[in-house]
Amino acid sequence: MDLIFLALSLYKKRQFEECVKTCTELLDKNPFDQAVWVLKMKALTEQLYVDDLEAEEEGIAEAFMDNETIAESARPGTSLKNPGTSQGGSTQGYRPWTQTGRPVSGVVRPGTQTARPGTMEQALRTPRTSKTARPSTSQSARTIRLGTASMLSEPGGPFIQLSRINLGNYAAKPSLAKPLFLYILYHENSIRHALQLAVLATQACEFKDWWWKVQLGKCYYSLGLMREAEQQFRSALRQHQCIETFLRLGRVYIRLDQPLSALDVCRTGLEYFPKEITLLTEIARIFEGLNNMTMSVKYYREIVTEDSTNVEAIACIGMHHFYTDQPEMALRFYRRLLQMGLYNAELFNNLGLCCFYAQQYDMTLSCFQHALSLAKEDDVADIWYNIGLIAIGVGDTRLAGQCLRLAISADSSHAPAYNNLGVLELRRGRVNEARAFFQAAASLAPYLFEPYFNHAALSNKLGDLQASYIVIQKSLEAYPSHIPSQELLHALEKHFTFI
Amino acid sequence: MDSARTEYSNGIPARSVPKSRQDSTKAPELQAVEGRNWLLHRHYSRKEFGICKILVQEELERTRGKHEYANYIQGLILRHEGKIQESLECFQICHSLNQRNVDNIKQVARSLFLLGLHNVALEAYLEAQQVSKTPDWDIFHNLGECWLRLGEHGKAKEALRQAVQLGRHERSYIALANMYKMEGEMQAAIDIYKAAVELFFLRASPDSAQLATSLGLLYLQEGKYQHALEKLGGALARDPQCAQALLAAGAMMQNHSDYDVALSKYKIAAQSWPESPALWNNVGMCFYGKKKFVASLSCLKRAHYLSPLDWDILFNLGLVHMATQQYASAFHFLSAAINLKPAHAGTFLLLAITLRHLEDPDNATEAFKQASFLAPLDVSVPLNFAVFLESQGDLEGASLQLVRFQDLAQVTPQISSELLQTSSQLSKSLNSRLLSDTSSKASATGTDANDKSHIEVEAQVRVRNHPIDSSPESEPRNNLADDEV
Repeated sequence: MDLIFLALSLYKKRQFEECVKTCTELLDKNPFDQAVWVLKMKALTEQLYVDDLEAEEEGIAEAFMDNETIAESARPGTSLKNPGTSQGGSTQGYRPWTQTGRPVSGVVRPGTQTARPGTMEQALRTPRTSKTARPSTSQSARTIRLGTASMLSEPGGPFIQLSRINLGNYAAKPSLAKPLFLYILYHENSIRHALQLAVLATQACEFKDWWWKVQLGKCYYSLGLMREAEQQFRSALRQHQCIETFLRLGRVYIRLDQPLSALDVCRTGLEYFPKEITLLTEIARIFEGLNNMTMSVKYYREIVTEDSTNVEAIACIGMHHFYTDQPEMALRFYRRLLQMGLYNAELFNNLGLCCFYAQQYDMTLSCFQHALSLAKEDDVADIWYNIGLIAIGVGDTRLAGQCLRLAISADSSHAPAYNNLGVLELRRGRVNEARAFFQAAASLAPYLFEPYFNHAALSNKLGDLQASYIVIQKSLEAYPSHIPSQELLHALEKHFTFI
Repeated sequence: MDSARTEYSNGIPARSVPKSRQDSTKAPELQAVEGRNWLLHRHYSRKEFGICKILVQEELERTRGKHEYANYIQGLILRHEGKIQESLECFQICHSLNQRNVDNIKQVARSLFLLGLHNVALEAYLEAQQVSKTPDWDIFHNLGECWLRLGEHGKAKEALRQAVQLGRHERSYIALANMYKMEGEMQAAIDIYKAAVELFFLRASPDSAQLATSLGLLYLQEGKYQHALEKLGGALARDPQCAQALLAAGAMMQNHSDYDVALSKYKIAAQSWPESPALWNNVGMCFYGKKKFVASLSCLKRAHYLSPLDWDILFNLGLVHMATQQYASAFHFLSAAINLKPAHAGTFLLLAITLRHLEDPDNATEAFKQASFLAPLDVSVPLNFAVFLESQGDLEGASLQLVRFQDLAQVTPQISSELLQTSSQLSKSLNSRLLSDTSSKASATGTDANDKSHIEVEAQVRVRNHPIDSSPESEPRNNLADDEV
């Protein structure tokens, strides 16, 4: 069989390793065969190709060395940095907030874990653990796999020596330049070289090829040059409208913390591509980031009418119903997920909670049993915590205490469990233990207001007004519109101000 | 000779020399230590703490830390920032600089009080009392608070009473009234509040709405609804957003079955206090009164979500579920309520009725017995028990309970007509059945009528909900990781 034909067929069958092997043999015979050379590049690229739009994640470095943001304290509802300010959003009293200071989302995706933290301390406190995959920079996050690939020593040296290659020669030949560019970007992960090639190539085609502009924008974006990236994407969109370009332009605005512009871009995209799911998802996510749950759910609903098996949309709508006192509705959505074949601990956990609040008691415990049997290490604590809540709900405080202790033994930094244990101890009248639990919870999770408030109320009762005064201020920092905290502070201020 | 003339040289008068030499030998004029006190005070009273701190530093450097007022101001600022230990040190310096100033001792004592060292604070206040020549309400007030925290109620009351006489200050009135409330002397507490409201209400001091609300709540507890309504109305006129007053007024309307007015009050309260379990509980019971059970259930469930350890809410949830004839759910809520609060007869009564509908007569009997054990004087327990026993065919037991009911009914002053009606129906049917021994159907309406009487009991319970203590903040933590799928 002809070896080139074999290699092509292997490439089509996505058997990239064999394809590369075949190409290498061919290239050994004739090093100047461009077709084989391109095929090998493509195969190598495909091996490592990732959807960088979905895997994108903002790192600590970007969040702090950020000089693109326009307003330090943005107006309410116009910034992703302080989601608590939006009107009509859910509050911490109803929907718990995550480590990063935004309401829990229906799905875990990179964006939900990385909100921009207020202080460096807070950012560093959420390190890269199994639960918070927050990289120090976005470059390393996305490209860790790619970097290692380029470092693998290949027999006979690397396939292409980037430092020796004359990019100008290739830039003029589109059939060679495009695969080469992708190879440099994804396989070699050398953005500098990729950018050089893209600049040369776009000049060679006299700025008429939108593809190169998008690639230029991509390079600028990953180098952190947001305004340049914006320019390139906009110019590309003028020539040719493409979903990916709309999405990437939206991402630029999100990085600049201008969510409203990002929404505009996505809506323009929807005019060209009505009911396009990726664009709708993007809009729904941005609204969720702005803590505007009603709008977010509206768009998720649109997604579900188009694609009735969209896991993210169904999960988010279910979550929304759960936290707006409609556990029965939430149950329907989660059951749908189960019917679709999703089978994991989180789903059973949510089903169990919904069953409990919808008073289907017979199902609750079996759901949680399933959840426990399926749970991975980092979910166990949450599940025990929820079982503890159900025990509180049926009034069995002893069982609740045991469950919460199990939660802590599974994850020694589970702050809500510490808080609830404190409340239970307080009910039994063990003041010192309760205080210790509240303090532990507060030090583990400064984003929760409950431990602070409970601690302050307890100290106030015991007469330790100083501690109460300091702690209640922290509670209000975490949740500024918490009425009982405000009242306690008001009462305490009488003791602390004096003319 | 004119001495000035000799100074001329080259026709230009020399500077600086001619003035009299005696001045330069004089010592430089010393700035008075207290020279900038007015400035410090002005900045402090405007809460401009940043400038104030800088000025204080300057003053302290100039006087090598011997400036009394600067130290004093620094102490006050530090206290405002919550650094009590450091502020205590400042006040102690003040005290060592000027032993005779009562304010310094008072501030030292206050810092000790804020640190929770009530014993030491008490001693300091006693010292201040000795140093001060005239009796001072502030000292008496704080002495009262110290004694209160140390558990010596008699002395505390005495001191607070003196403070009230000397100073006529809101804080003392509130503290004294709270003391009386703690000791259960409601009338005395009401009198104190009354005096305070008379004093302060017309002057429109910032806490007057609070005072009037407290008085209204006290009246409510005493059952003087007319007075209570008056006071709460006054409080609302002063501060239309006062959530506590709104809640209490709403609860009173609810007691008189005026549900629409009550709901309108709650609507206003919900805007300023959307996460209050007491509020949602009351709203839920309003809907229950209007027979809108679904709305009622969702409100009560929200209240339960916000405060899962509150047995009142669980009790109400059980009640509403009974009204919708979902007896299994009602049973769960009631048993949860019993777990949290084992000594409440009403819960056991409801549980017994639920168990009867769930066809578990043995346990229902036990629950009835427990209810009558917990509340031997409650008229509704024996009546419900009698109805239940009659339906079970235990006619003798039923008539026994009926006799108990009639005995109690004679003692109880106010008894609802529904109860009496049910009892007469029951006695008729009992008589006929005892005579003819043919099973005539007992009126099943009896139990339902009794449930209604419980709402009213509950309505009184509800008002108690106002003090919000540390509720367990339950967070169902849902996280669904589909990216990992």
